[in-house]
Amino acid sequence: MTTDTETTSGAARRESGGAVRRYLAALRTPRGAIGAGLLGLLVLLAVLAPVLFPGGYDDQGDNALAGASGAHWMGTDELGRDIVARTIFGLRTDLTLLLTAVPASAVIGTLMGLAGVISRWLGAGMQRLLDVILGFPGIVLGMSVVLVLGTGWSALFVSILVIGLPLFGRQARAGLQVEQEREYVLAARVLGVRRRTVLTRHVLPNIVDPIVVNAAVYMVVAVFIEAGLSIVGLGIQPPIPSLGAMLNTGARYLEVHPAYVMGPGLVLLLLTLAFTLLSNALNKAVLRR
Amino acid sequence: MIRFLLRRLPSVVFVLLTTTVIAFLLPRLAPGDPAAVAAGPEATQQQIAAIRAEMGLNRPLVEQYFDWLGGLLTGNLGESYQFHRPVSELIGARLGSTVELTVAATLIMIVAGVGVGVFGGSARSRLSRFTADATSTGMLAMPPFLAGLLLVILLGVTFRVLPISGEVAVLDDPVIGLQYLVLPAVALAVPMSGGIAMLVQSSMDNAWRQDYVDLAVAKGVGRRRITARHVVRNSLGPAVVAIGIRFGEMLAGAVVIEMIFARNGLGQLAVSSVQSADYNVVQVIIVGAVVIAVVVQLLTEIAMATLDPRVRLGV
Repeated sequence: MTTDTETTSGAARRESGGAVRRYLAALRTPRGAIGAGLLGLLVLLAVLAPVLFPGGYDDQGDNALAGASGAHWMGTDELGRDIVARTIFGLRTDLTLLLTAVPASAVIGTLMGLAGVISRWLGAGMQRLLDVILGFPGIVLGMSVVLVLGTGWSALFVSILVIGLPLFGRQARAGLQVEQEREYVLAARVLGVRRRTVLTRHVLPNIVDPIVVNAAVYMVVAVFIEAGLSIVGLGIQPPIPSLGAMLNTGARYLEVHPAYVMGPGLVLLLLTLAFTLLSNALNKAVLRR
Repeated sequence: MIRFLLRRLPSVVFVLLTTTVIAFLLPRLAPGDPAAVAAGPEATQQQIAAIRAEMGLNRPLVEQYFDWLGGLLTGNLGESYQFHRPVSELIGARLGSTVELTVAATLIMIVAGVGVGVFGGSARSRLSRFTADATSTGMLAMPPFLAGLLLVILLGVTFRVLPISGEVAVLDDPVIGLQYLVLPAVALAVPMSGGIAMLVQSSMDNAWRQDYVDLAVAKGVGRRRITARHVVRNSLGPAVVAIGIRFGEMLAGAVVIEMIFARNGLGQLAVSSVQSADYNVVQVIIVGAVVIAVVVQLLTEIAMATLDPRVRLGV
């Protein structure tokens, strides 16, 4: 018995080592390299924001809505605050939100998808719940959350988390159903390996790929959710900057100060571009397997 | 098809009923007393109590729910606290604007998405493939609100060729109405056509490797004819599904686009109702949005089965 589990766990370890190597290979393709480089740069900017802009995002100058100058590369906003500084701090808000809410959604969604392991009824119940969530168009779900929690960080976090659940949950359930029928899983069960061991050692490593790809894809959607809710005034509230919130206020000054929306707009575009390229590269690497 | 619909009925009914329960419970989950909100900031305790009784908030929750559901089904949607007008009237007045926008955007999405996809899928030179790839990736990464803002800056502020805010109903005055509609519709359609294009292109790539294409080549059929008659025709199925699935996203995008272009549609109404906690309006909009999304999903499955005889409804 012990020898059995040792060999099977050895196989699983090779499997997950292979996964990491596949992702690294994805990063060496042109798309992957550009996507990863771009994302790395944006994360670095966001992390270094307090160092780059010691004045913070709330430093008000004398000139409101000033044009570009040496001191303010993209000019200032309606309260005389530097647009570049606010954009980078806004990026920080966005990235913090994405990098916490999307993984949370992936983990909880995957667990919901795997609930069928515990009992058939629980699994079916979870799928029905995911059906209901899927019925809600994203922004309508976001509005419902805002109605209960009020505007702000927590409403955005919950919205991004909940909207992603069906994506991960359905994927996990489909993966589970495919893997459960595979010979090596059947073999392990015949050998008397416990269900939980089969699940963690054999099934999970094999459904990790689609989860990683989906998480990268969902990052783009999550950026849109933040920006969408903030741009209509239901997201991050002033004075805290976020890319969407800046587009919301900037849109009022389009005719007098177009650079106001271009700063956050450009960064937002780079952010979604980075995740789109990354998810493309990961998807291709995983499919090639 | 009737058997298929009957099979799907339980799950559709379940989703819709759960949605009504969620919509019904929202105001009760939210902090604050709906009666106090409805009464306004200067109401006395007695007035609030009177309104609570009038709204039926003293009765058991289940009874309240069935009352509300009954009203929803018979078209008695209640009154908006914010505008002091019937909800049905508010929605009716704004429905046309949103329908106009989404229909126009859907048409643009189909033309642009399938166009770029077929171009990429039938391209042979590296340059044209790269162009198609770059176009669809760029469109996909461009969210509707950003496309909207860029279009406003470019065509509304810099060149001033199209109006950027407000609207005129297309049915009232087609010439002016369409001018107001172009920018918002394009902005809404752009990101979604990117996804459609990628899908069409990859399923065309796939179709090129099929045996029937080899056979056609062996028979000496021209490349253009193969593309048109075999490859494209067999590649549109997934695109139809994607267009259906994206309809929900389309509605969501419409909310944002309406804000940017100051169009007085349902999105504007939804946002202002959420901001002022106007529950009667929000509840109807939530239920309505989910009903539309679910119906479109069903229609999509039927459309796919009609297009592709291999897909059997009822599976």
